[in-house]
Amino acid sequence: MSIFQKLSGGPIAVNELARTLPVSRPAVSQHLRVLKDAGLVMDSKAGTRRLYQLNPEGVARLRAHFDQMWTQAMSAFQTAAETKPVGEKDAKPNRRSRRT
Amino acid sequence: MPNPIEEAVVRKSVRVQAPLDRAFSVFVEQMETWWPATHHIGKTPFESIFVEPRIGGRWYERDAAGKLTDWGKVLAWEPPHRVTFSWHVGPGHDSPDWVCDPDPAKASEVEIRFKAEGPSTTLVELEHSKLERHGEGYQQLRAIFDGAGAWSGILAAYAQVVAHAMEGGAA
Repeated sequence: MSIFQKLSGGPIAVNELARTLPVSRPAVSQHLRVLKDAGLVMDSKAGTRRLYQLNPEGVARLRAHFDQMWTQAMSAFQTAAETKPVGEKDAKPNRRSRRT
Repeated sequence: MPNPIEEAVVRKSVRVQAPLDRAFSVFVEQMETWWPATHHIGKTPFESIFVEPRIGGRWYERDAAGKLTDWGKVLAWEPPHRVTFSWHVGPGHDSPDWVCDPDPAKASEVEIRFKAEGPSTTLVELEHSKLERHGEGYQQLRAIFDGAGAWSGILAAYAQVVAHAMEGGAA
């Protein structure tokens, strides 16, 4: 299970994360910093502890990008699949050739 | 249970009026006929997109000059029912361009399932998961989104072209 998946369970402290993952605490902290810089994770203070959780907005943006791409791609795929093959011109004469 | 709002997964399904075999083959063998031309990874537009039909096979594009650029690898190959790819294409770490990162730890996964609902109707379901693995280059990704002439601009232009086509090409 990845740090990201662990975080989807709700706010969690670094120690707790490190305990349940096969990685060192510094490695967890480093990964969290990267995810935070990327806008995918946010942190908050709870007393003396710092808790980390997913940033729904960041995740939503990342997802929105791929969502848009696939919406466009799947719609074009549907059109292509439903278009009657016109002699099915093979546009790949080099398909079997090996390039280096 | 992860909150679905926070899941880094995209799911799509489309019902096509085509037999199962054809739906599968158009998807994996004729990708260049439908893949949006704006979404190429190499420096120049692709001419063909190839999927090597086996587990471990490469998924790549080729431009007019013959240059090959990897997109990912085939993780599962069960024609004509299912195919799974690793998706290695994310924002670059040193540049704002989209690049292929061969590190499997930074690749997301795309699974496509094909279900025959009739002799000429096929349900195609797609799931693109583990998107957070592209997260490390996310700042660059955001720059691409928000910059001028960016993704969103390309999509807006595309939407206009489609809208015109739907109106019978009236200017």
